[in-house]
Amino acid sequence: MVGSFLLAAALGGVCYLDRTAAFQMMLHRPLVVASIMGAIFGNFAAGAQVGAVLELLYIARLPVGASVPPDDTGAAVFGGAAAAAASSSIGLDMGSFASILLLSVPCAEFGKYADRFVRRINGRIAHLTVEQVERGDTLAVEHALMAGAILFAVFGMALTLLFSGLGISAARFLLPRFGPESHLQFAALLPALPLLGAASVFSCSRTDRTAPVFYLTMGCVFAVTFFFRWVA
Amino acid sequence: MGGIPLRVRRKVWFRQFLLQGCWNYEGMQNVGFAYSILPALRDRYGGRPEELSRALKRHLEFFNTHPAMAAVILGAVIRLEERVAAGEEDPRAVGTFKVGLMGSLGAIGDSYFWGALKPMASVAGAILAFVHPLLGIATLLLLYNSSHLVLRFRGYTAGIGGEEGAVRFLKSAGFTARTEDRKMIAAILGGAYAGVVGSHAALLFGGAWLELGVFLVAALTVHLFTVFFRKAVSPSEVLLLLLLIGTLILWQ
Repeated sequence: MVGSFLLAAALGGVCYLDRTAAFQMMLHRPLVVASIMGAIFGNFAAGAQVGAVLELLYIARLPVGASVPPDDTGAAVFGGAAAAAASSSIGLDMGSFASILLLSVPCAEFGKYADRFVRRINGRIAHLTVEQVERGDTLAVEHALMAGAILFAVFGMALTLLFSGLGISAARFLLPRFGPESHLQFAALLPALPLLGAASVFSCSRTDRTAPVFYLTMGCVFAVTFFFRWVA
Repeated sequence: MGGIPLRVRRKVWFRQFLLQGCWNYEGMQNVGFAYSILPALRDRYGGRPEELSRALKRHLEFFNTHPAMAAVILGAVIRLEERVAAGEEDPRAVGTFKVGLMGSLGAIGDSYFWGALKPMASVAGAILAFVHPLLGIATLLLLYNSSHLVLRFRGYTAGIGGEEGAVRFLKSAGFTARTEDRKMIAAILGGAYAGVVGSHAALLFGGAWLELGVFLVAALTVHLFTVFFRKAVSPSEVLLLLLLIGTLILWQ
């Protein structure tokens, strides 16, 4: 188990680096992160299942200017680890699925504040760098950038350890305490979550041209499903 | 003195992936920009440490744009710095050029990369992940990066060609049309995703009219969430509300 957590922290650090400090190649997206966490903690498919829903939930929050969006990478670390630990040989039940998605929300909010904290420390580093460059030390820029990137990576690794630990604990100790009735009631909340994700995509892509297309496609997919179901 | 050698241009290209390595609230991407352009400045001001410091300090001023679009500015600024080092241009032109371009390129980049390409790649990945998780992940990464890396590279090489090259690139890249196309694809895929979820929820109920009713409720739910977003209610707030409802269920 210690090996799994260390591997999760290392890969989580890389994903968190991709989020802000380096690359921006979408390695930090929930679908990727939750699948990795699921694979590390024993169930790749369950991690991906949670990641696919989390992927769209926060897509409408853009990292524009100084605004820091919720930490969907952190939510995916929690969700992937919890899904792998909570799933059985037949997969993840709908109640646990909905509970994991909802319990990942505080992780996303906490991660946002941690991100802001790192950026404030970077402010100090940048300030010192300007002073050193004024004194003629041009290497200070390279040192500052490395310090900033390492800080992002170390915080990413720490958050990954924290969120994966919380995810495993929630799956092992919290979810089994809910009775079958609570699981059923939680399962009733599940359809609202992918619909919220679809609404996030819609609000991102909304223009005068795309609005009717969105609803038309939604209706067509339902009609096709409905038709084939009744024919069968 | 000749142009910037290829070896140095390559160094700058690789370094620009760390543009946000020291992102901070005061200067935003300033340290990242200075770090990226440093090999080119060292090449131009080799043996002139005071001028190198002055040039580097120019790039430690506030800078913020979309990280993928920064490559265009970086390329063009290298060319500009070449002329400044040769005494053909006023050093203040560098700052003016960066400030003039970073806002508009930031807006174009945010709209295209964050507002159109990312949602399109994400929803395609999320749909295909239901077929096979690896297919979903591969689709997400390929769809996004095939456009992202190509535009970054084309922008950088166009920028190296000078300010005119950068302007030509921005005209020829057709960001407005690209953004509209990606948004349309994202809307179609998003609608399909919502349709699948709505159908799945409807199938849990028996009877044609009941299924239709459940589907209409799903469509109204999506519309309601969209209205919430337009009224500045964030998805996090909706999720926290759902978490609260879940907690109340358990409390009972």
